[in-house]
Amino acid sequence: MKKSSRLSLILVLVLAFTAILSACGGAKKEGSAGTAGNQEAKKDVELIWYNIGTPQKDTDLVMAEVSKYTSEKIGVTVKMKQIDFGDYTQKMQVLTQSGEQMDILFTASWGFDYVQNARKGAFMELNDLLDQYGQGIKDTLDPAFLEGSKVDGKNYGIPANKELPAQDVWRFNKQWLDKYNLDITGVRSMESLEPLLKTIKDNEPNVVPFMIDRNFIPNLPYDYIIQNLPLAVKLDTTDYKIVNILETPELKEALKTMRKYYQAGYIASEVATTTDNSDLTLTGNWFMDRPTTQPFADNLWTASLGYPVVSTPATDAIIYNWSVMGSLQAISANSEHPVEAMKFLNLLNTDPYLRNLVDSGIEGVHYEKIGDNVAKNLDKSRDYDMPTFAIGNIMLTYLQEGDPEDKWEGFREFNEAGTPAPLLGFNFDSSNVSAELAALTNAKDQFWAPLMTGSVDPDKYTPMAIEQLKAAGLDNVMAEAQRQLDEWLAAQK
Amino acid sequence: MHRVSHFFKDLHKNLPILLMVLPGAIGFILFSYLPMGGTLLSFKQYRYNGEGFISSFLSSDWVGLRNFKFLFGTNDAYIITRNTLLYNAAFIILGTFAAIAMAILLSEIVNKRLSKLYQTGMFLPHFMSYVIVGFFVYSFLNMDKGLLNSILERFDLQTVSWYTTPKYWPYILTLTNLWKTIGYSSVVYLAAITGFDRSLYEAAMIDGASKWRQIRNITLPLLKPLIIIMTLLAVGRIFYADFGLFYNIPRDSGALYPVTNVIDTYVYRGLKTTGEMGMTAAAGLYQSIVGFILVVTSNYVVRRIDKDSSLF
Amino acid sequence: MAANIKKSRDIHSLSPFMNIVFNVIAAMFSLVCVFPFAFVVILSFTDEKSLAQHGYRLIPEKWSTYAYEYMFQNGAQLLQSYGVTITVTVVGTLLSVMIIALYAYGISRSSFKYRGFFSFLALFTMLFNGGLVPTFIVVTQVLHLKDTIWALILPMMMNAFNIMIMRTFFKSLPDGIIESAKIDGATEFQIFRKVVLPLSLPGLATIGLFCTLAYWNDWFNALLYIDNPNLVPLQSMLMRIESSMSFILQNSNTSGLGSLAASLPQETSRMAMVVLATGPIVLAYPFFQRFFIQGLTVGSLKE
Repeated sequence: MKKSSRLSLILVLVLAFTAILSACGGAKKEGSAGTAGNQEAKKDVELIWYNIGTPQKDTDLVMAEVSKYTSEKIGVTVKMKQIDFGDYTQKMQVLTQSGEQMDILFTASWGFDYVQNARKGAFMELNDLLDQYGQGIKDTLDPAFLEGSKVDGKNYGIPANKELPAQDVWRFNKQWLDKYNLDITGVRSMESLEPLLKTIKDNEPNVVPFMIDRNFIPNLPYDYIIQNLPLAVKLDTTDYKIVNILETPELKEALKTMRKYYQAGYIASEVATTTDNSDLTLTGNWFMDRPTTQPFADNLWTASLGYPVVSTPATDAIIYNWSVMGSLQAISANSEHPVEAMKFLNLLNTDPYLRNLVDSGIEGVHYEKIGDNVAKNLDKSRDYDMPTFAIGNIMLTYLQEGDPEDKWEGFREFNEAGTPAPLLGFNFDSSNVSAELAALTNAKDQFWAPLMTGSVDPDKYTPMAIEQLKAAGLDNVMAEAQRQLDEWLAAQK
Repeated sequence: MHRVSHFFKDLHKNLPILLMVLPGAIGFILFSYLPMGGTLLSFKQYRYNGEGFISSFLSSDWVGLRNFKFLFGTNDAYIITRNTLLYNAAFIILGTFAAIAMAILLSEIVNKRLSKLYQTGMFLPHFMSYVIVGFFVYSFLNMDKGLLNSILERFDLQTVSWYTTPKYWPYILTLTNLWKTIGYSSVVYLAAITGFDRSLYEAAMIDGASKWRQIRNITLPLLKPLIIIMTLLAVGRIFYADFGLFYNIPRDSGALYPVTNVIDTYVYRGLKTTGEMGMTAAAGLYQSIVGFILVVTSNYVVRRIDKDSSLF
Repeated sequence: MAANIKKSRDIHSLSPFMNIVFNVIAAMFSLVCVFPFAFVVILSFTDEKSLAQHGYRLIPEKWSTYAYEYMFQNGAQLLQSYGVTITVTVVGTLLSVMIIALYAYGISRSSFKYRGFFSFLALFTMLFNGGLVPTFIVVTQVLHLKDTIWALILPMMMNAFNIMIMRTFFKSLPDGIIESAKIDGATEFQIFRKVVLPLSLPGLATIGLFCTLAYWNDWFNALLYIDNPNLVPLQSMLMRIESSMSFILQNSNTSGLGSLAASLPQETSRMAMVVLATGPIVLAYPFFQRFFIQGLTVGSLKE
């Protein structure tokens, strides 16, 4: 008796509720469908474009100007929505998973992961669209971009034309070089740094000689299957055999050096938990570090740090998957206007007027031209400050005051000089081993930073680490990766 | 027929109160029960097909219990479960004790102005995110410049590399947690105590009962239902760890994982590379089910002892 | 003389010695709690360079208001966000306390036949949830709340924890009061409004405080549901700055973000953010304290 009345109560509630819901939901839908149907015939197509970056005050203003131009050229208008850097990945995940309406969206190896989301079906396959409406893109882009950003043989995003390879450099704070008359011409390997570091350590107790953080990994001649997991093949591999990086002689050697530097005090003692060295860069109390470079980077760094720095290569310029996928624009799988979206992307990557409008805003409002190809920011540019590298072909953008005239020429040379990494174009599909990968990431995080920064004794901890990784399923993942790699190689032939 | 009429009679009799509960019930159904269907994701490998969530959900593959595997399949499973349970048990026991003690203490202080001032002060930690608290703990414990190590040095004691020495961290984390939560949780008890009928105390006073006896014989028994409820509610969340506490305070230091890795940090680290939605849902479901079982069991025990104090 | 003093002392109160002990304990703990916050205020007024050079100092080498100037560059946005936060907090708290009190009262009444069911209905939501995406879909696609202020209010309105606390408060009221009011011919709503609510002020103040804090501190709903910059609440704005800052710093080596790193706000600005975000709400606490008045007795209200 009691039970049945309780049940009927639930039933009444649920029924009443669904009635309310369907009434609300239904009414709204009909309304919007009706208006859309009427207007579609005449009006331009509106593209919804999700982009990474701090939302800007004048975005709508500039997009109205963009729409004016694109409406005339290709019959589309553009609405851009910006999501700040720190929130982008999470919010885009929710938006795509829930099927939010959008046409174009930003993706990269480091933000809203390109490969992963391509595999999950978030993006539309672009090969046919590219052939039909993206000829301009194909002509301007270095072919390595489109080749390297293929996932399982298909393109899902348009890479921005920018620096293609990645090259690490040793970067020095020039004031200390000058003070002690240090020469960096012979510097290349990590071992070759020692005399310089020693000089600084002995003479400048307040300066951190070698500024690194917990994400530091010594440069090794290997190409990683997954960033930050110890599976890799040698850069000059011929048999494409995947090895555990922890078992390689190169790493052993490198860790020995790191340990020596750590114990000598060249590296800050809390490095294994340090995520950010901005207090050092602010005061200049550092001697050297190891960033990834791009053409004319020294100028850029000197300007942004506020004091002179110089750099010298630490590695060759190598084209990795992640460097190719540094910035892409994709078309959403649920886009209703893929053709228009591709036309727009094609225009964005080939038309200097449009590209600069999106990038720097309206001429005379946000910037003014002080030369044929040179722009200068006006005060209002604060209301429209976009991340240039994220919105298509950067080689179309105007030079800024003080930029070398041959800036883009330098980029092209840099790109041509890059050598492809052995795994370029191969992307590991982790869906079969996602459980192992979760355990593996935890096991790896436990010792990775202390080991790589020299904070712990490698002779003692490396074997422990290897053992724990094996317990977490490293061998399984390695076998799966090798299988996929062999298949990929066979398909390449 | 009889049943139906009985039902409507009941409904009519309870109508006024039913109407009172209705807005809240609708709120729960909308924002909690309607989305609950998403729990099914934990048995799917979710892939989009470009036609919205429902359609993508339906076209995704069922994978059975595969999404749960990562929670149980490894050596870490034991460590994270143990850490989560032990820390939370310690927080519940010590936290409840400290909050009640503090509430009684504050309610007994003669000068009410001062008492309010203290209360306000104790509330401040609640407003500081664990990121900021993490900065402070770091400025105490940092190896070279940290306050604690410079004190140790001054007394010629061996300095400690705090962020690589696991044995201190159970204490550090427990203290940090207590520091952050006591002010907040004592408010509930304080409010209850101030609501108690003064005449009970007056009667006790006339009987010559000392302050301690009053606390033991009046305040604590009156607080009992609230203590039970608060504890039961906390038990339901015993499998959820405070991510900020266990991630930001130890600065995600690998050497400390054996004592700082809890379910929430494990899931976070494990899924940051793959981002599988089904696995996130699976972890949540696992935490929910364990909490559910624990609450139902302890509620059953409470019911046997004191029916009125039970949750349902 | 001594006897005289003793007599004039309130019979409720502690012995002077214990009073001092209690005061010392409470004062010490409260100091431990206030200290870091005071430190945050000091740091927010420290010169960035001197902070980087010398670390945390109680008395900085060099004071500076730069952090606040940086934050107030977006003065209009900041004010707007304060407005949103205050609106959401006030409306949300009122609505939430009202609905929670009604619900909790219903399930506290032993004469209410379905109290077990509704207690369970509430409690179950504490243990199980559908996850981010399904909730997002309900809010945006079923209720169409995206980019409205209701998206910040309604999803947080119900809270089982507060309901259970409130139910316990209601239950501790003597049964006789409700019964006698019933005999006087009062309807259920009248009893609730005129008899029960006035007696439950400390409880209402408690959950009111919890709701206020929850609404004030919420940034996640805004992250999910709000695109319109005019509707972004304070915490969300500050969280956005904070999380973007750490994201850029962590990824500056592997992406084009390096050049952005230089223009980021620094540590002092983070501290200023904490001050700006929590300052006003800290001041609200004494307002709630007013309701925790000792001696609000059942007896005195009966007359």
